[in-house]
Amino acid sequence: MATYHLSTPLKEEDMRKLDVGDVVYISGTIFTARDMAHLKIRGLLEQGQPLPKDFNGAAVFHAGPVCLKNDDGSWRLNVIGPTTSIRMEPYADMVGKLGVKAVLGKGGMAEDTVEACKKYGYVYFQAAPGCAAKLAQGVERIVDVSWFEMGMPEAVWHLEAKDFGPLVVGMDTKGRSIYADLKKAAMKKIDALYPA
Amino acid sequence: MNPHEQLIRTSIHDAVIRAVTEISADVKGLLEDALSRETNETAKSMLTSMLENLSIAKQADKAVCQSPGYPTTWLSYGEGNCPNYAAEVVMDALAEATKKGYLRPSIVDPLTRHNPGNNTGKGVPNIEYQYHPGQSYVDFIISFKGCGAELGNAMRIFTTATLKLDKDFEGLKRFVLETAVNAGGKPCPPFGIGIGIGGQMDIAGKLSREAISTRKWNDVNPDPMLARLEDELRDNINSLGLGAAGTGGDTVCLAVKINTAATHTAIAPVCINFHCWVARRAGIRIYDDGRVENLL
Repeated sequence: MATYHLSTPLKEEDMRKLDVGDVVYISGTIFTARDMAHLKIRGLLEQGQPLPKDFNGAAVFHAGPVCLKNDDGSWRLNVIGPTTSIRMEPYADMVGKLGVKAVLGKGGMAEDTVEACKKYGYVYFQAAPGCAAKLAQGVERIVDVSWFEMGMPEAVWHLEAKDFGPLVVGMDTKGRSIYADLKKAAMKKIDALYPA
Repeated sequence: MNPHEQLIRTSIHDAVIRAVTEISADVKGLLEDALSRETNETAKSMLTSMLENLSIAKQADKAVCQSPGYPTTWLSYGEGNCPNYAAEVVMDALAEATKKGYLRPSIVDPLTRHNPGNNTGKGVPNIEYQYHPGQSYVDFIISFKGCGAELGNAMRIFTTATLKLDKDFEGLKRFVLETAVNAGGKPCPPFGIGIGIGGQMDIAGKLSREAISTRKWNDVNPDPMLARLEDELRDNINSLGLGAAGTGGDTVCLAVKINTAATHTAIAPVCINFHCWVARRAGIRIYDDGRVENLL
């Protein structure tokens, strides 16, 4: 298990070097996006409409932060932590096409993401679940917010991060998934404990 | 009318704020135990982050977790002491906690997804009122349960055959373990599992939430058969190797809690309800003579 410090724009060749279990800290641009943002991006792409952000080489964080508004109308981050990533599985290929190189979340994703990680050279990272106050220390500032009308959690928050992490490689570009491996082994143990 | 209205209002308000700013001491103790036993390096790092996060949140007066989850409240009362203003107090406290950044505005319409921004809406806050004749106190428990955990939940209507009644409930045990594996890292492990057994589907669901949200995670079930089942399930789930965060390790499950109710002779409804490690809840008992004590 190696430790890496990476900065955006993330390069495909760097992502392809990572193995499951490696620990990574990311600096630079991180966009939050969850269910509604993915749905909206898909709609805009289908209609050939422009997106509010360039996702090439960026990190996308499955997260809905708690933000507080300053008197001048700008925002400050209170806390931020990962949401359950499997909900975004239907968009695995779209995320690869957008040029996203790092997907951050919790709980892992499924087969479509394994394939998209191989095809487009992006990596899925596990953040420590429920650790929103600690993770917020890795965010320097909120640059801006898009689609706030979808609600605070569902909006796309543009964050500037400094050594955001630790993040564990949960799914790499070589077709490996910690989650799939653990599940396979666990199901075998269940057969031994309580046969079907 | 309860003579201690102002005391009850203040106590309920303070309990809601306490629930969203810290996690239960019993759960924190179990996390510390899990870290002291852990042999997997990634899991050690995850558990260390979780405990650090609690200190950072406390020092900085911030929420422990960005997701406030979904609040459920249990309120039991006796003759003449029902605080019928409880919903109003809870709503005020939710609004205050939202404004201070302890709670992200996260409650939406189930279909339109409209977010009014104040963590309330149709049916929220959800209060389960229970009238117990002769009870000379008011019990108030509020629990904010995260919703990644909900994505792992499962329900099945068993029969005596599918329970494997004749084989020490092996059918039920397999269902619980398979559900835990399918949930994996989704419910923010190390998780707790509430299991409701009995009634019909609705009763089993309520029992499952009550089990994991209103009982201490280190208590011992007064029913010896259920106590044995809870321990066996927890230990065998942990033996599967899923670990904290679901990325491998020795402890994925801090507790299994089973609550039961009688059911019909044809069925055994079972509902499995996950709770993340961030056990934000508080419980208080307010006696009719004005004494207040903490339950959770």
